[in-house]
Amino acid sequence: MAIECLVLGAGQEVGKSCVVVTIGGKRVMFDCGMHMGYHDSRRYPDFARALALAPSAADYTAAISCVVITHFHLDHIGALPYFTEVCGYHGPVYMTYPTKALAPLMLEDYRKVMVDQRGEEEQYSYEDILCCMKKVIPLDLKQTVQVDKDLVIRAYYAGHVLGAAMIYAKVGDAAMVYTGDYNMTPDRHLGAAQIDRMKLDLLITESTYAKTVRDSKHAREREFLKAVHKCVSGGGKVLIPTFALGRAQELCILLDDYWERMNLKIPIYFSAGLTIQANMYYKMLIGWTSQKIKNSYTVHNPFDFKHVCHFERSFINNPGPCVLFATPGMISGGFSLEVFKKWAPSEKNLVTLPGYCVAGTIGHKLMSGKPTTIDIDKDTRIDVRCQIHQLSFSPHTDSKGIMDLTEYLSPNHVILVHGEKPQMAFLKERIESELGMQCYYPANNETVSIPTTQNLRINATEKFITGCSSTPQTGNNAQKQNLGFGGCTEARGILLMEKSKTPKILCEDELLHLLGMEKHLVHFEPLPCSRMKEAESTDEPLLSSRIEEVKQSDGSAVQQASLADLGCERNE
Amino acid sequence: MDERPSVSVPGPPYAERARAAEPRASTGLSERSEAEVRALASMSRGIYPLARAEALRGLAAVLEAADTCSGVAEQCYGCAVELMRDEDEGVRLASVRLIAICMDKFAGREGWDGNGNGDQTDLMFLQLSSMARDMSTKVRIEAFNALGKSHRVSEGVLLQSLSKKVIKPSTGSGSIIKGKKLPPKLIFPCAAGIFAHGIEDEFYQVRTAACKSLGALSKFSTQYAQKALDLLMDMMNDDTEAVRMQTLHTLFYMATYGCLSVQEMHMHMFLGLLIDTNALIRDATRKILGLVNLPKLQMFKSAIDVLITSLEKNPEISMSSDGELILDKPRIKALLIVSISVSFSDDKHNKLDIPEIIFLHAISLLGKISCALGEVVDQNSLLSYLCQKSGTPFWKTRLLSAESGETEGCNVETVAGIRAQIEKTEKSTECLDQVLTMQSMKTIIETVERAWAMRKSCNICDVRTILRSCKEELIILASNSSGSTGAFLCFLCEYLDAVQFIVETSRSIQLDNSYGLGPTSLDVLLKKLDTSILRMKCCYAGFNREMEVQVCELALLANLLRLSKDGIHSKLVLEKLHWTINRLECLCADGSCELSYFSREIKKAFDANFVGSDVCTLLELFHLKPKTDYGMLKAISAVLQVRDNDSENPSSYVCGLPVGVSFDVSLCNFSRHDRLWLRMIVGESIQHTFLEISSFGGNDEVKCCSTTIPFFATPMAWSFVLRMMNETTEMEKLISGGIDTYRSGHLE
Repeated sequence: MAIECLVLGAGQEVGKSCVVVTIGGKRVMFDCGMHMGYHDSRRYPDFARALALAPSAADYTAAISCVVITHFHLDHIGALPYFTEVCGYHGPVYMTYPTKALAPLMLEDYRKVMVDQRGEEEQYSYEDILCCMKKVIPLDLKQTVQVDKDLVIRAYYAGHVLGAAMIYAKVGDAAMVYTGDYNMTPDRHLGAAQIDRMKLDLLITESTYAKTVRDSKHAREREFLKAVHKCVSGGGKVLIPTFALGRAQELCILLDDYWERMNLKIPIYFSAGLTIQANMYYKMLIGWTSQKIKNSYTVHNPFDFKHVCHFERSFINNPGPCVLFATPGMISGGFSLEVFKKWAPSEKNLVTLPGYCVAGTIGHKLMSGKPTTIDIDKDTRIDVRCQIHQLSFSPHTDSKGIMDLTEYLSPNHVILVHGEKPQMAFLKERIESELGMQCYYPANNETVSIPTTQNLRINATEKFITGCSSTPQTGNNAQKQNLGFGGCTEARGILLMEKSKTPKILCEDELLHLLGMEKHLVHFEPLPCSRMKEAESTDEPLLSSRIEEVKQSDGSAVQQASLADLGCERNE
Repeated sequence: MDERPSVSVPGPPYAERARAAEPRASTGLSERSEAEVRALASMSRGIYPLARAEALRGLAAVLEAADTCSGVAEQCYGCAVELMRDEDEGVRLASVRLIAICMDKFAGREGWDGNGNGDQTDLMFLQLSSMARDMSTKVRIEAFNALGKSHRVSEGVLLQSLSKKVIKPSTGSGSIIKGKKLPPKLIFPCAAGIFAHGIEDEFYQVRTAACKSLGALSKFSTQYAQKALDLLMDMMNDDTEAVRMQTLHTLFYMATYGCLSVQEMHMHMFLGLLIDTNALIRDATRKILGLVNLPKLQMFKSAIDVLITSLEKNPEISMSSDGELILDKPRIKALLIVSISVSFSDDKHNKLDIPEIIFLHAISLLGKISCALGEVVDQNSLLSYLCQKSGTPFWKTRLLSAESGETEGCNVETVAGIRAQIEKTEKSTECLDQVLTMQSMKTIIETVERAWAMRKSCNICDVRTILRSCKEELIILASNSSGSTGAFLCFLCEYLDAVQFIVETSRSIQLDNSYGLGPTSLDVLLKKLDTSILRMKCCYAGFNREMEVQVCELALLANLLRLSKDGIHSKLVLEKLHWTINRLECLCADGSCELSYFSREIKKAFDANFVGSDVCTLLELFHLKPKTDYGMLKAISAVLQVRDNDSENPSSYVCGLPVGVSFDVSLCNFSRHDRLWLRMIVGESIQHTFLEISSFGGNDEVKCCSTTIPFFATPMAWSFVLRMMNETTEMEKLISGGIDTYRSGHLE
């Protein structure tokens, strides 16, 4: 048996994560994401290839046993409504509770951006999203789900975002883990990934930061707080463009804590309704957050931010310092751009940038060098005099984390997805040389076939078992052996493999009985007189060794003979 | 897969049974434990995780009871390493515990460290490190705890445990293949930077354990300690109070071991902690600041400023609250220093009401305070200021007479003011100094008495710290005084040494029940005590009777201690005791001073051959009362210097023939009746030469002489080292000056 792994997306790139894995006839689709960089058909995974894997299947529902979504980011879930509603997949879809709760928010938000702002053709409607969500079966952490008779899946905590999971899947003896995105170091509001040690044939892991080793998060936090504090104490305004979910909450907890400790009274605002809505979900899903939040939850809900104030649009023109969270994260448009236009010309103000920005956005322009002016469009040009602080908080694990997880799980094979090609090649080298595991990083639409270990059930006859446990009485060791609980003594037996029967181990004399044969003994003659002289003249040791052989040979010779017989029988 | 059924082991767990059977004779143990180990080792390969874990726990129990040198540790270690990567977290946990015990056992072996077993220790450290990256919280906590207990890990491994990035060995041993330099590889890639991971852990228990181990390991390497400090600085911002407290404890621990070097970049963190809202944290921070050396004046000043702010904000630490002030705490010292410095800083703080007694106590800490203030104030002015503030009577009268009634001058407010004033009273300072020295000496003696009184009730470390700091003060005072005062201060130093040895000896007699073979630390302590008393006896001349009685009582006490250790039948000790008692009686015979209760009781007990009296209760009777009336005490000393010879240019000699050794001897406070021998030692052979005192020139106080003495027993060798020392014979041996001479010559 082998595991066939078809990478439909996120092969040697970041975006539209989608991997279809075939284990023992079962086909599981991990993630169903969309690529944010494309606006044509390339944005979705090439689902037709998945259908082609099963020539006998009529539609997707028959071809694919189940779809498992690891978390609610669009590059992991974006294509799901398309797959279920447009392509017509009606099989089970699994995701964790928080993902199920937050996914519609994300999908609807993006659909709106796509249709309303870009004026694109609608791929799926709001009803499609709702319809799709109805097919979702929620998963809990460490809950083992029997998808069908053979296929078992289980979710483990992955960190990364609220509700992110790593998925363990098993068919028969073949087992694998798909990590999705994960984080090995805990955040303020999310814990570190956690998984049991298991026997795995395959590990499919993300490799966003395949080459980076990050230093302590404490230093990064300190820098961020220092920059913000310096700005507000100088009377400046801080603009923090973020995505609505995840980083916004993380940074807000950080700031709220700091405000509390430093006893600051400067207001913190959330601009977008989405963030506020998300905060509500976070409050409900405390069980999926980090230990720290869970501990403090008994006293007060950490998502009830004490220092966050009610916000209205007119506030951006108010004088005095403040901190504002605004969407979208890369200042590509929307409210964050509006605020940026207002605040950028003042030297007192501060704009923080997320870890990475897509080329073409204002965020990207600010990141690459420090421009003094930025042209928004033909008519508008802004003087940028404000300070820029680049955030380096990332919910992805670094190279060390990937290595650690791989070493911990010790799978036989590793497949890297969700990363950039050169970095993946580097990591592959490290995994192969340092951990001694086979590693692959297939491109999109490539298939990797992994051999699996197969366990064979063998019966043993009663006589063989009793023969094993009874101690061989050999000299003065006897007493020690008795104490040894059997220890690792060797036992001799014959493995019998017959057609359409479970193989079994039996004793030597049982075999004779089974075969209905007599015991044959082969005797070796002592050297004949005629060859005596020859032997004397050439090699004396030969003589003695042969005699030895005669003494011992009665048992082993028969064994070899009978095994040969057995071979014949099997070949029939 | 973990679908395997978990089976509970019937009957009591093996570990418990093993523990129950523990107190059997250790002689028959090896045979049995070997069998047990084999049985448990085979069980540890079983298929049931609970049984495997139980087997490992059983092994741990057997190992704990086993001898360090038996092979049990190796077998257990093998089993533990095999199961280190087990699927079940309980098994992994037990495995980590077992490895930790093995490590302890290995380290306990004699000569383990010396025989190039560093690799083995490092390997175990790395194995434990790799477990500290486990996904199970319990395993991580256990692994960090075990790491903290490791002994002697090499520096490279330690440093790697702090950095996630692979540290390239500086020797460039990274292998070069086909012209391409390969990065160095680690045996366990995940073992890198485990402490960096540990302090970021999600669970505060893990962070606490990591923090503790960081501190424990930092005594092995200074470089490690410095980098660990950077990590610890981050942990002070932790949101869990337990972790912050542990961080401070760790820093305190590091400071105690002298491996905490605070740099400027760390100061803001300490300063922030000083004004923390939590009183416990403030207190711990002050404790640490009391122990560290701040390399720059600027840092010190900022520390003081913040301390003052903290003092003002939080009145609960106001030191004179109940009038009781013990000088043992670094915290109090820090506070004293602060309060003194307050007056030297700006006018703003001048209104701070510092009670007189504080200044009185500060006098005994003069050395420290003046060191702390550095160049800002000189010691004399500081002292006069302190005296004035504390209302020491002498200062006032003296000042009045010296300055013809210029009393306003006492109202010192600025440094400049003090300087000007001191210049005026320069003449009087010398006389003043002596009285002030006496004053601080008295304070020190009082402190010592108090420390003696509390030796039972409080931690031995505290007593040790008090005595040590008192001694430091004494040394500073002694270096500034001469004559009989100087001699007495030196004598007091010796006395304090003796007191410290007595305290430690009686403590270790209480604690120590085992009579191991060979010299124990107790023997060493007793030996040191004897030497210290001997030095008191022989290195000073001009004792008055009281002082001699005092020394004799110490000798009595030392002999008693030895009796309580060796038992009351040691003939040698009894003889010494007899001698001392006779001497004491002789001293007190004319009634000029009285035999103390302690001495009388000992005499009684001695006369009764210690029948019916307990040595320990006799020990309790001793009352420490250092005498301050020293009369005309003189310190006897001798300096021996060999001429025209050093290790670079040694004198030459002919093997087997005598060689002349020229040297200078200078003697201090030797009387005409003393006799002086020169002892020369080369290997086994010792040569004594008598030196005629009359041949020495100079006055009564210092006598000098240069002479050449033949040394007869030159060895048949290319070169040899000659050790020489002076000996007087008045009572016993007095080692007054030793010098190592290195000579070499050519064989002809």
